[in-house]
Amino acid sequence: MDIKDLKVLVKMVTETDITEFELENADEKIRIKRGTAPEVIHYQQPPVAPVQFPSVQQAAPAAPAEASSAPAPVAEKGQKIVSPIVGTFYRAPAPDAAPYVEVGQVVEKGQVLCIVEAMKLMNEIEAEFRCKIVKICKENAQPVEFGECLFIVEPL
Amino acid sequence: MKEGKLQTADKGTQTLNRRILEIFRERKGEVISGEELSTMLGISRTAVWKHVEGLRKLGYTVSAVPAKGYRMVASPERLVADEIAAGLSTERIGTRIVCLDETDSTNNVAFRLAEEGTVEGTVVIADAQSRGKGRLGRSWASPKGVNLYCSVVLRPAVPPVAASQLTFLSVVAVARAIELTTPLKAWIKWPNDILIDGRKIAGLLNEMSAETEKVNFVVLGIGVNINMRREQFPPDLRHPASSLYLENGEELDRNRFICTLLRELDELYAIYLRLGYGPVREEWLSRSQLHGRKARIDAQNGSVIGIINGIDDMGALLLDMDGREERILSGDVTLL
Repeated sequence: MDIKDLKVLVKMVTETDITEFELENADEKIRIKRGTAPEVIHYQQPPVAPVQFPSVQQAAPAAPAEASSAPAPVAEKGQKIVSPIVGTFYRAPAPDAAPYVEVGQVVEKGQVLCIVEAMKLMNEIEAEFRCKIVKICKENAQPVEFGECLFIVEPL
Repeated sequence: MKEGKLQTADKGTQTLNRRILEIFRERKGEVISGEELSTMLGISRTAVWKHVEGLRKLGYTVSAVPAKGYRMVASPERLVADEIAAGLSTERIGTRIVCLDETDSTNNVAFRLAEEGTVEGTVVIADAQSRGKGRLGRSWASPKGVNLYCSVVLRPAVPPVAASQLTFLSVVAVARAIELTTPLKAWIKWPNDILIDGRKIAGLLNEMSAETEKVNFVVLGIGVNINMRREQFPPDLRHPASSLYLENGEELDRNRFICTLLRELDELYAIYLRLGYGPVREEWLSRSQLHGRKARIDAQNGSVIGIINGIDDMGALLLDMDGREERILSGDVTLL
């Protein structure tokens, strides 16, 4: 199953009340679970490109994940993490606190990278996967637009 | 039937406690016979007595009038989920109520519950907070037993860029609740501070979990200084602060305030889901009276001064700076 089909499948499932969906055949197994936790998509098919998380825009187009494409496509270097809202970008939890992350730092999945604030609605942006910070695209306390790049990271 | 969480009781006891509280509330001050209660609740008279004893342990004063029955004399000073749930008749807000004696921050508890999938409308209330949160690392003074510290979980089907609108919804609900329970006039400062005669009474801080296109949930954090005394305020406050008690000279029943607040929030949220941001924005604008006022906005990267032109459809402050309009997304407003 390629990414496009998988997308269609996820869309179909999320438009229903189904909270868990599993599909298994000879060479692949797909499991979609939703509801309580943030949506998790498990997609097992070695070798395969990682399914992209929604808050990460790819810097390069995704490699097709066809079963026939022999060697595993290496995870793309330099993925963008973009802002989900219009707001003010903060690198630290408080003005006198140390920044959440620095360039070169390796961060774990779920680790907070920054805060984007809009009208006292605070949005902590977390790493969706283990990665290394390649570039911090914004200065502290600067406005950011929706979809604007906040970090460039290298998935590990 | 709303479901609340009672600290010590199982679910059956909870439901019965709530029914008994509702009956006492409907027939305020009346003596109700044990027999009548037993018929209404479908339990034995001995069981009625046991439940009344249970309520007494929770701090309710219920007097037993010999050969006549029971009468509710007073509700406890402490916050009780059942007491709050009994006073609610809401559609969404308060579907689940969690009352805690003390926690670090109700926003943290609500955020965690939301991550675990708690139902929309879950309300977390604490009697005290050890690390009450303010904006960007600031703290919110949260002494025990006098104020309201609560957080509400919402799961609106709106894109993340629109979620800031909810900031305006919760502050309007707090302003309404103050005016419904006291003779005071609440004034809103952008985006969501509440002041009475220039002194800050309430602080609201919201947190969101979102993906690019989808809001997972929003936690609306609401702190209101209700019966706080002068000596309970920290000495190093950034702005003048006060409590409803200090402004009005009268103590306010916190359970009553919370019920009023949650009802107003429920109504505003229903309007928001049905009609969008328009009506909330209109009420916010009329309560804030900011239009045309000269103001300074202090942010981490500096200050700007201009004339306020209102707010846009995300709630951003529109500031006219010598004919050039700026959209302000964060900062502290001082009217000049």
